[in-house]
Amino acid sequence: MTSRQNKRVAIIGCGAVKVGRYPERQESELALQAIRDALKDAQITTKQIEGLFTTPDLQGNIGLQTNLLCEYLRISPKSMAEICCGAIAGGLTLKYAADEIQAGRIKIALCYGAVREASIGWFKNLSQGQGWSMIEPTALQPYAAYGIIWAYALSARRYMHETGATEKDFALAAVRNRKNAAGSPVAAFTKPITVDEVLNSRSLASPIKLLDSAASLDGAAAIVVASEEFARDLSPHPVYLLGWGLYHDNSCVIPTDDCRKSISHFTATREAAKRAFQFAGIKPNKVDVAEIYAPFSSHELIIPEDIGWYQDGEMVKAIRSGETEINGRIPINTDGGLTSRGHPWAATPLYETINLVRQLRGEAGSIQVKNAKVGLMHCEGGMMNNGLVMIFGRD
Amino acid sequence: MTSKPNYLKPTNLESPGARKFWEGLRTGKFLAPRCEDCGELFFPPRAYCPECLKDSFAWEELSGKGFLYSWTELFFSLPEFDTPFLLGLVDLAEGVGRITAKISGETAGGLYIGMPLIIRISNPRDGMALYYAEPLCSE
Repeated sequence: MTSRQNKRVAIIGCGAVKVGRYPERQESELALQAIRDALKDAQITTKQIEGLFTTPDLQGNIGLQTNLLCEYLRISPKSMAEICCGAIAGGLTLKYAADEIQAGRIKIALCYGAVREASIGWFKNLSQGQGWSMIEPTALQPYAAYGIIWAYALSARRYMHETGATEKDFALAAVRNRKNAAGSPVAAFTKPITVDEVLNSRSLASPIKLLDSAASLDGAAAIVVASEEFARDLSPHPVYLLGWGLYHDNSCVIPTDDCRKSISHFTATREAAKRAFQFAGIKPNKVDVAEIYAPFSSHELIIPEDIGWYQDGEMVKAIRSGETEINGRIPINTDGGLTSRGHPWAATPLYETINLVRQLRGEAGSIQVKNAKVGLMHCEGGMMNNGLVMIFGRD
Repeated sequence: MTSKPNYLKPTNLESPGARKFWEGLRTGKFLAPRCEDCGELFFPPRAYCPECLKDSFAWEELSGKGFLYSWTELFFSLPEFDTPFLLGLVDLAEGVGRITAKISGETAGGLYIGMPLIIRISNPRDGMALYYAEPLCSE
């Protein structure tokens, strides 16, 4: 890790479209709406963009969406990439922008992701044709299909077995997220729900029910990243990247090649978090506010244990006593998380980061965590097979 | 009456590296490859040995016994399967790997983690045999 000697990078602008359904709009136009807001927030013009990093376009444009965006925006970046690595993609755009800036190749980068999962999504097309389990059909016979809920359900059940967590504990996390979403400017689901409503919602793959789940929706988010030098001159409220950690475990969705691999806790999250804390030079208890990538409420309990705020199984007590609420010990998913903000999958890590930036600037309104100085963003790909943890802070 | 689409075809599922496994299922055997070069017994079957990347294997029949590692009741699936049904994640007794399989002959209330199970193989349909799991009753 050489980056600590290098100059820091900062987030200086954010823009996001409200998560929802946009069947009548193109990805590029949803992206432009978010980009326009991010540039305005950063107080820069399109001409200042030197790097362009985006998430996968799986609608058949063979990775040429940057062509369209460069012409549309009339920009000629010196560094660009469309980055695909499962749902971690949005987070990786930030990492590669930071790398390029710290290497001195560029000063300002634009990261964005636009997904129309609800309207013409990749998962939707996949589920009409084949089951996800067909990635390893000899071990994962094609009984399970339509997305990846079955794998998370197996993980959740194993976690219940090992820790004594109940479906009600998972429901508490879904209820917390929904309560927080009411204060988010971009969340799709803001009507309050109760534990009983979660428990009585439609069964999908036990123990997971409809209200435990993140809905695949449309969305677009954009973030402007700049060198520290540039940010100090230009931005009234830069938020600095203090460190990051990235890790890919040798596993694929449900690991089938080794009976010793855990599905109730995840090596990739643990290693990514450990590396991020080392890089930033801080301890887990210094984090004031966190955004974690939990597509199902069960993993709202699992991930905080992997990140290091709790020992294995301790989240059961913590969720019951409200320790992850906005005024709690470690406020998590203060804008509703995946289950209530909605889940435009590749853009989700950007949405998470944008909420942290609002928190660290003190602009989060009714969901503001008091005096938040350090924020943590976690995202993942597969079923927690890889993980990225980023730590942000303000001076 | 519209016919249900059928995705469970050999062309959709059988990769060349795992063909011997699928042929085994069609003859009622649950096979795993052992690398003839380094001796690694591994599962799931793949075209190259994950330990040494050589590609010459002897195929061994596993006992079909296993233990329930986790389970779910699925309320949706491919059109070929009636829902809901139980899906188990099963550790193979030989310790070489894990499988997911539909569980027959038991209810959700009767399942427990660690439960001994045995792999059974269905009769081939459209050229494909699938496996499922049943409780292993001690006799």
